[in-house]
Amino acid sequence: MTPTDWFTAMLLGLGTIFFIAGAVGLIRFPDTYTRLHIATKTDNVGLGLIVFGLAVQSGSWSVAGKLVLIWLLVMLAGASVAYLVANGAISRGIPVWKR
Amino acid sequence: MPTILEKGPPSWNGSHYFITDFMQRVLLFSVIWLIFTAGAAASWWIGAPAIACTAIVSLRLVAPVRPSWNGSLRFLAYFLAKSFLGAVDVSWRALHPALPIEPNLIEYPLKLRHKMARVFMANTVSLLPGTLSVSLQAHYLRVHVLVDRKTVLTDLETMEKKVAMMFETGLAGTP
Repeated sequence: MTPTDWFTAMLLGLGTIFFIAGAVGLIRFPDTYTRLHIATKTDNVGLGLIVFGLAVQSGSWSVAGKLVLIWLLVMLAGASVAYLVANGAISRGIPVWKR
Repeated sequence: MPTILEKGPPSWNGSHYFITDFMQRVLLFSVIWLIFTAGAAASWWIGAPAIACTAIVSLRLVAPVRPSWNGSLRFLAYFLAKSFLGAVDVSWRALHPALPIEPNLIEYPLKLRHKMARVFMANTVSLLPGTLSVSLQAHYLRVHVLVDRKTVLTDLETMEKKVAMMFETGLAGTP
């Protein structure tokens, strides 16, 4: 494996850990709001790492550019949808879980 | 819409805003087209009219913004570092056996008045450590916090200043 391959492997591994943590949190967290926390943040960073790891492998600025565009769109969609779901939940009176 | 919100510069009154703002959009959409088509020269027969139409429509839909380069770079560096920490923090809490969370709802007194900067701020907050935007109101942003800490408000203040710098817009109550 070349140094680039190791770099990619490291980023993909790290990104996968974030996605796994995101899935675990989705199950373990107690309410809508806390689940939104984990879904939004880990998806954004996990996908960012995976996109970066794949972009250095692509060998083409066009493919790398498309990957980055996908990441930006997912980030925008993730943050906007998290707001819409949280806002919908609060206006329907769904209570906030408290310890 | 509450009248306290600042409107962006007019885009269709024939002022000097129009040409520079139009060229800014054309440049942005051209870069995206270039990425999509991998630089195929023949694609510009479709690309050029499409970009021109999109630039016109986008100026109608979204008022021109003129972000500061310096402010944007500083925001980007801060945002990348903070959003990474945010994911690490929430992942650690999700995997920890004791599930160390203490959620609460807080109200952050929002000083940004520029309409797009406020939406931008609300979206950014959801990607920062331990905060999630729940409701954007005229004078405050309701935020769900994963762990109720005093530092949250100062963190949000720092972020709001960075967003204001990027959009080159002022904060209410400060000179």
